[in-house]
Amino acid sequence: MIKEFVKGIWKENPVFVQVLGMCPTLAVTTSLINGLSMGLATTFVLVSSGLAISALRKLIPDQVRIASFMIIISSSVTVVKLLFEAHIPEISSQLGPYLPLIVTNCIILGRQEAFSSKQPVGKTLLDNLGMGIGFIFALVVLGSVRELFYQGTIGGAQVLGTWYKSMIIMVQPAGAFISLSLLVALFQRLSESE
Amino acid sequence: MNRIVKMILTLTLLGLISGIALSMVSNYTDPLIEQNQQEALREAVFYVLQPTEDYEERTVDGKVIYESYDESGELVGYSFTASGGGYQGTIELIVGVGTELEEIKGIQILASEETPGLGGKIRGESFKSQFRGLEAGQGIGLVKSEEPERGEIQAITGATISSRAVVDIINKELSRVRSILPEGE
Amino acid sequence: MELFFIFVAIVLTQNFVLHFFLGICPFLGVSDEMEGAFGMGIATTFVMTLTAIITWNINTFILKAFNVEFLEYVSFILVIASLVQLVEMFLKKYLPELYETLGIYLPLITTNCAVLGLALFMVLREYNFVESAIFGFGAGVGFTLALVIMAGIRGELNEEDIPKPFRGTAITLLVAGLLALAFMGFSGLVPT
Repeated sequence: MIKEFVKGIWKENPVFVQVLGMCPTLAVTTSLINGLSMGLATTFVLVSSGLAISALRKLIPDQVRIASFMIIISSSVTVVKLLFEAHIPEISSQLGPYLPLIVTNCIILGRQEAFSSKQPVGKTLLDNLGMGIGFIFALVVLGSVRELFYQGTIGGAQVLGTWYKSMIIMVQPAGAFISLSLLVALFQRLSESE
Repeated sequence: MNRIVKMILTLTLLGLISGIALSMVSNYTDPLIEQNQQEALREAVFYVLQPTEDYEERTVDGKVIYESYDESGELVGYSFTASGGGYQGTIELIVGVGTELEEIKGIQILASEETPGLGGKIRGESFKSQFRGLEAGQGIGLVKSEEPERGEIQAITGATISSRAVVDIINKELSRVRSILPEGE
Repeated sequence: MELFFIFVAIVLTQNFVLHFFLGICPFLGVSDEMEGAFGMGIATTFVMTLTAIITWNINTFILKAFNVEFLEYVSFILVIASLVQLVEMFLKKYLPELYETLGIYLPLITTNCAVLGLALFMVLREYNFVESAIFGFGAGVGFTLALVIMAGIRGELNEEDIPKPFRGTAITLLVAGLLALAFMGFSGLVPT
């Protein structure tokens, strides 16, 4: 049981190992807080739609499987978007159009297709939660690294001294690609030496 | 045939359930979102024109103008909302101007979809504070790296388009307000 | 002229893949075959143009008219999924030759976030009908361009001796970063 949970965090990490869900990973990780809120929103969608799909798995005909999944996932995303707008409007506007784009995050559809639609509710919960946490972990690491090298802060707190000159490239698209590239390489190196 | 009926039934049912659930959630969140916006607008009116003690809403030519008064009941200036295209989506903001409609007292961004960390910085204090007491009689100018002179704003590094959008939106709406509001009324 | 600028912006200065990070999955997963990349690009461009046209109408005449904007995401994704299905059936029946080459790419388009992203951006930017159609087509062309360039570079990379941890994803991301830098050179091309 524990195995289902931890595999998503390290061995099958959705970002660093499976290279899924790249759009939000690259787009919103300009700071730790943005990465974290995106990770939490995605995890909520992943878990809630996973539970619904797992519970309904015997009722949904195979041919309309994907369409049914998409309805469930996009409804769940709408709920998140509305709740964010109502309770944390600041973060909702920071994430902009990338919040609704969770609908097409391949991690979610991939997990539902490969796991939730075939496994009982309990196992699905652990698997999806693990994957979600793995995703949050990746987004937080990338967000912190980019924020640190952009303006010398992590989560808004000054880490490097005031001597640090801000590096704009880190929050631009090129910086996103390059930082993620280096992190993926580092991750591969680490898991090899294990 | 049976299979097709089952397929259609599943999809219709799912669609229905999702529609009902979503309309319930949106019934719950809509007033909250509306309230957030109202509150943000109210706070913004106090923010862009200081010191505002109280304000009145007035509609001139279909344009809503907020008249701000200080504690002694003296008119401080006017504020109004303006919106236009930014880098990614629409930017909506509010501008406060002095009674002569010549000087900008402050701005506040109400809604924007700019890139987080770049254009998103138009919401930041260091960008907005440039507008405090800005001479705008001839319209505001934008400079990139050089020192801004009188009536000019320095663009956010790496987000010239968003900065330019804010300046353009203000210039456009300010001249419209000038044409409908008799100066120094 | 406005329309021309929308087109140039979305192909070069605000390329969907290299600027907005939309459609990264197929971009990173693309093989080193230029032809395959081109086929994928064409199929996606076709779906994107149709998506722009249809979702614009749905948004204007249904969602906004009946004040049910909370159904935006659900209805858009269903339009895209059914559109992909329809295109697939149409090709299979009437243009079997084209289906042979493009068929395998079609199902992947549903989860290509560039397609949904396009519909969302269109609504956010409040484009009118013609602008939306141009935007959809341009986004597809930009996607194809990025895909084809990437496929070309990957073909060259196959010959190189890449450090082990960088093989696969990491080197592709690094190349993407350099491409994004190169595309930044286009900024300023379009007046705003």
